Amino acid sequence: MKTLLIGEYREGKLLDTTYELFGFARQLGAETAMLLVGSASQLPACSGPLYLADASQCGEYSPDLHKQLILDAVQKENPDYIVFIHSSYGWDLAPRVATRLKAAQVSEVIGLSNNAFEVGCCNAKMRRTVKPATGKAVITIQAGAFPVLQPGGTPQVQTVTATAAGNLTFVGYEPAEAKDVDLAKAEVIVTAGRGVGKKENVPVIQALAKALGGELGASRPVVDAGWVEHSHQVGTTGQSVSPKLYIACGVSGAIQHLAGMKKSDFIVAINKDKDAPIGEIADVLVVADVLQFVPALTAKVSA
Amino acid sequence: MKLLVCIKQVPDMESRFRPNSQGIWFDENDLAWRMNEYDEYAVEQAVQLREQVGDSAELTVLSIGPDRVVEAIKKSLAMGCDRAVHIRDDHAATKDPWQIASIIAAYAKGQGFDLIFTGMQSQDRGSAQVGVTLAEELGYACATTLVGFAYGDGTVTAKRELEGGIKGVVKLATPALVTCQLGLNVPRYPTLPNIMKAKKKEIEVIAVADLLTEQPLTATTSFHPPARKGGGVVLEGDVGVLVEQLVGILKDKTAVLR
Amino acid sequence: MFLELTEEQKLIQDTARVFARAELEPVAATLDQSDDRTPMLANLKRLAELGFMGLNVRDTYGGAEAGVIAFSVAMTEIARACASTAVTVSVNNMACEVIQAIGSEEQKRAYIPKICSGEFAAASFALTETCAGSDPSGMVTTATDDGDAWVLNGSKIFITSAPYAGVFVVWAVTNKEAPKGKGISCFLVEGGTSGLLVGKEERKMGQHASATNELVFDNCRIPKSALMGKLNDGFRTAVAELAGGRIGIGSLGLGVGLAAMDHATRYVTERSQFGQKISSFQAIQWKIADSYTELEAARLLLMNAAFRKEQGKPFSKEASMAKMFATEAANRACYQALQMLGGYGYTRDFPLERYARDVRVTSIYEGTNEIQRVIIAREILRNFA
Ligand SMILES: Cc1cc2nc3c(=O)[nH]c(=O)nc-3n(C[C@H](O)[C@H](O)[C@H](O)COP(=O)(O)OP(=O)(O)OC[C@H]3O[C@@H](n4cnc5c(N)ncnc54)[C@H](O)[C@@H]3O)c2cc1C
Ligand SMILES: Cc1cc2nc3c(=O)[nH]c(=O)nc-3n(C[C@H](O)[C@H](O)[C@H](O)COP(=O)(O)OP(=O)(O)OC[C@H]3O[C@@H](n4cnc5c(N)ncnc54)[C@H](O)[C@@H]3O)c2cc1C
Repeated sequence: MKTLLIGEYREGKLLDTTYELFGFARQLGAETAMLLVGSASQLPACSGPLYLADASQCGEYSPDLHKQLILDAVQKENPDYIVFIHSSYGWDLAPRVATRLKAAQVSEVIGLSNNAFEVGCCNAKMRRTVKPATGKAVITIQAGAFPVLQPGGTPQVQTVTATAAGNLTFVGYEPAEAKDVDLAKAEVIVTAGRGVGKKENVPVIQALAKALGGELGASRPVVDAGWVEHSHQVGTTGQSVSPKLYIACGVSGAIQHLAGMKKSDFIVAINKDKDAPIGEIADVLVVADVLQFVPALTAKVSA
Repeated sequence: MKLLVCIKQVPDMESRFRPNSQGIWFDENDLAWRMNEYDEYAVEQAVQLREQVGDSAELTVLSIGPDRVVEAIKKSLAMGCDRAVHIRDDHAATKDPWQIASIIAAYAKGQGFDLIFTGMQSQDRGSAQVGVTLAEELGYACATTLVGFAYGDGTVTAKRELEGGIKGVVKLATPALVTCQLGLNVPRYPTLPNIMKAKKKEIEVIAVADLLTEQPLTATTSFHPPARKGGGVVLEGDVGVLVEQLVGILKDKTAVLR
Repeated sequence: MFLELTEEQKLIQDTARVFARAELEPVAATLDQSDDRTPMLANLKRLAELGFMGLNVRDTYGGAEAGVIAFSVAMTEIARACASTAVTVSVNNMACEVIQAIGSEEQKRAYIPKICSGEFAAASFALTETCAGSDPSGMVTTATDDGDAWVLNGSKIFITSAPYAGVFVVWAVTNKEAPKGKGISCFLVEGGTSGLLVGKEERKMGQHASATNELVFDNCRIPKSALMGKLNDGFRTAVAELAGGRIGIGSLGLGVGLAAMDHATRYVTERSQFGQKISSFQAIQWKIADSYTELEAARLLLMNAAFRKEQGKPFSKEASMAKMFATEAANRACYQALQMLGGYGYTRDFPLERYARDVRVTSIYEGTNEIQRVIIAREILRNFA
């Protein structure tokens, strides 16, 4: 079995998530080849073929051109699976490639189950087992779902290029908004999720953070609704944190949130739904209404 | 200017999901349905553009599904879409993203849509494929995961959301397709007079058989709850007791409380 | 027989629910405890912009033309979140409907759009007097013809929204000699008219954010054109319009009852005593079964009354039945829901005590439930006489 792994490179750096692709291939027991639009100065430590296109020529984000590079590599390698990270790069590019190949695509794979793939659905509450029905398949894997694996060795680099076709131009990056808190330094983070119900209840969560000498975190809907500033957002599009204690209040546990906090030393979740997916990674799941439980906990801690 | 927005009706995500009798998707009984959250942002953005361009623009909303999806269609009409296409399909849930995109492509081909809006993914299936696949089938420029949108002179300036809060700014020449991320705008509430007036707007009904030519490329073989990994403690009961228990555990297991 | 809402009605229900959850519910407890009505007035304005002030009003006057069933389901959703906001919306709708029913074209164009758009924060319905509650025909406020004007003298009591109403629908005696109820006329009085004084506000058990005031007319001169409908025919109108308002109040009660039971039912699935969830005790289960059954019956009675009104059929008996049953079912539901929370239900940390206070008046205003029974019995006995 053979995989063509699509590496990721952004703002002049090879992204670490690239090594999760090798972790996936290992679990699959497959040979690997890689395509990377990056730089010769930052090659992944792996053996096997590496189709390398120069990002300064091909752009870091230029989907039509990158698609062409991948299609060219697919022709040479004839892989069973073309594998992306399910990221803003991967989910953008994968369907373009799949459509051109008329290949099955399985999105956001979190595990393998004999010849089929496990994926999450219904906001991570449920799972599906999906089988591709085509010889070749395009796979995107959930970031963090497979182990980081540095195979080591030196890749056999083949420099490749292609010409752009398409009506999209990349203008540039916009940096993340300035932060007024540095969650990365906090030892304790108490996070408000949509389950806190309303902006007026955020101080209840903040009070617990304060009583524990920590900072307030927030899930994305809480930030989108304007209840808490973006600088407090935890998750893939917010900050990644690993405090000594993380308390998630009314957070369901969507993967994009978990990605930002699952490395915390100790995780407590407070949720009224016993089946909330956050329970999967929490050391302690307290089944309760946040508005009843949190003030009581704050009072106890402050006493 | 011809605009299209594609929407899906999904169950309320607070529902409890039970596998259906074939065990490959959820049982639809007793579920409350609403518009896919991502699509609300797509509709809002399309309506804003429709308002920006004025009466020379026509905005069509499209949805595939059984008769119940008409409610989501009517909401879009009330929010400001001009007309609707309901591709009637009682078995839409069993189609894979490739088929769904192909059905829409079969409809949209040759209609000359300048701009197509979709959500970045659906809340229930979460594949994040339909929009991009549709663009690819139509040969449209495409950008995904939009958190910013502006249009002028045949060009869309889009802000894509990347990991870690960074944004990527791209320009697309029409015809183009964009997929919308949460937070792109503030979706409006449909007003009651508009809900009533939407009754008079056209809803074209097309049988899915007239558009479907593709076989599925993937098969779902099972739908099930995640296996409980165990390990974590689950505390239930009286709040007062819970607090004592948790504080005990925290004192024991973390250095944060002593 | 088709017991489903139409898609439009479902969408209106959904819009009301989403708006109420996001905007009304978060401020309801604060409004209950504070004297500052700013957040409620802001929400009323937004509800007006969405079209909730003229649900059963024609498009030409700025209404939504959505009908009576839509009005009922919207009231229930709003009341689930905030009963004070709901009663204001209900009275505004009723004021619009009276003007639409009997006003002249000029009067309709002058006032209805302002209520519907929210230009007027509210409108008031001024019928009750200290000596004329259940029996409004006993009113003593007078309107005297003074050539180019009507002059109002007297006072009203318990007038919802009076401090911020842009217009008042006022009933007054225009012919003292006429038999009871045959000498009353209806007028439109603009807020701020000289001689119209908003008197003391009642200190109430619940629905605090909704102002209930005395209204004093002290030689209040209003133009001749302020007479609405036919001279001396106002009482009939009042009776007819109150019937429609009752659908609103019944729906409001239902909303509060459902909010209480939903809260309590969630609570009992979390609270444990004697080593088990209290929801496993049959005593608790029966409260759940009884209350939800009664609330469902109330909903169906309301739908029936609303449907009949929408179809142009006689609906006064049905509206009275629905108002009476729904508000009593809601009162019982709130009582049981509070009981299900034990001591916690009695504290302000939970909304149950507010629901119980807010729901109480629904069996009193817009005709006490005793009066509803009088109406129902009269209508039934008529067919046996
Ligand atoms: C590309 C992409 C990037 C994203 N990036 C991020 C990110 O960086 N960070 C992030 O957080 N999300 C992110 N998301 C969104 C993510 O998918 C989820 O939608 C989000 O994390 C859900 O937030 P939540 O858990 O607060 O809300 P919900 O999923 O709505 O969950 C609310 C939870 O609260 C519980 N609850 C409700 N009421 C109570 C109560 N009274 N007491 C106790 N519990 C209660 C409910 O049972 C539920 O489990 C991203 C999504 C996408 C597609
Ligand atoms: C919060 C609030 C808001 C209000 N808003 C308005 C408003 O906006 N506009 C307005 O005009 N009015 C309003 N009212 C007045 C309300 O409609 C009256 O209070 C109601 O009609 C009862 O009149 P009453 O209070 O004078 O009681 P009474 O008529 O004195 O009744 C006292 C008791 O006697 C019973 N009773 C009376 N007659 C009979 C009978 N024939 N048979 C059996 N029992 C009988 C009643 O049912 C009641 O139990 C409001 C009242 C409240 C409390």
